[in-house]
Amino acid sequence: MTQETIAQIMQDIFRDIFDQPSLVITRETSAKDIEDWDSLSHVNIVVAAEKAFKVTFALGELKSLNNVGDMYDLIQKKLSHA
Amino acid sequence: MREFKYEDLSLGQSEEFSVVLTKEMMDLFLRISGDTNPLHVDAVYAKSKGFKDQVAYGMLVASFYSQLVGVYLPGRFCLLHGIETSFHKPAFITDTLHVSGEITYLNAAYRQIEIKASIRNQSEDIISKAKIKAGTLE
Repeated sequence: MTQETIAQIMQDIFRDIFDQPSLVITRETSAKDIEDWDSLSHVNIVVAAEKAFKVTFALGELKSLNNVGDMYDLIQKKLSHA
Repeated sequence: MREFKYEDLSLGQSEEFSVVLTKEMMDLFLRISGDTNPLHVDAVYAKSKGFKDQVAYGMLVASFYSQLVGVYLPGRFCLLHGIETSFHKPAFITDTLHVSGEITYLNAAYRQIEIKASIRNQSEDIISKAKIKAGTLE
């Protein structure tokens, strides 16, 4: 799966979770850029990504993420090893 | 009270219990919520609108989802994250409600579970459905 496809799917997830249909996510987007991105929203993003890409994340992997781009990379890495 | 920790939980695991809706519950919910809508407090009005009696508060019925997760699944170590609920048929005083839930997803990283839940009456009619997200403290 390409980074572009992953980004598109993740953008739809973010738009749904934050209920912002026009929200634009970039690789550099992080929690500080979205006012409603709290701990519960974070869990919802992770669970939605797990379901969308049929992968699972370990807590240690998630703690190392600094922005959305890091998550794209982690997802792509997991998919390539699936 | 169940004391399931995250490690004790698995996909498809389920719990259920039954409860009888009482007039006292309705009166207490009226005091707590301040919802004086006549559909819930005036039997004559409710009957004039086609119901057999005063209609139980939907949120009173849904409050049993709190017991489902807080007492049964996962029980003691529950931290409720959210509930999406819908109401499909009215419930009435003296109805016996069967509350059930089944785990449909587990997230190990954050120890969150998702539960598909429903409430049926004594005739097996679905009164309410819910999708519940709950964390486990242990």
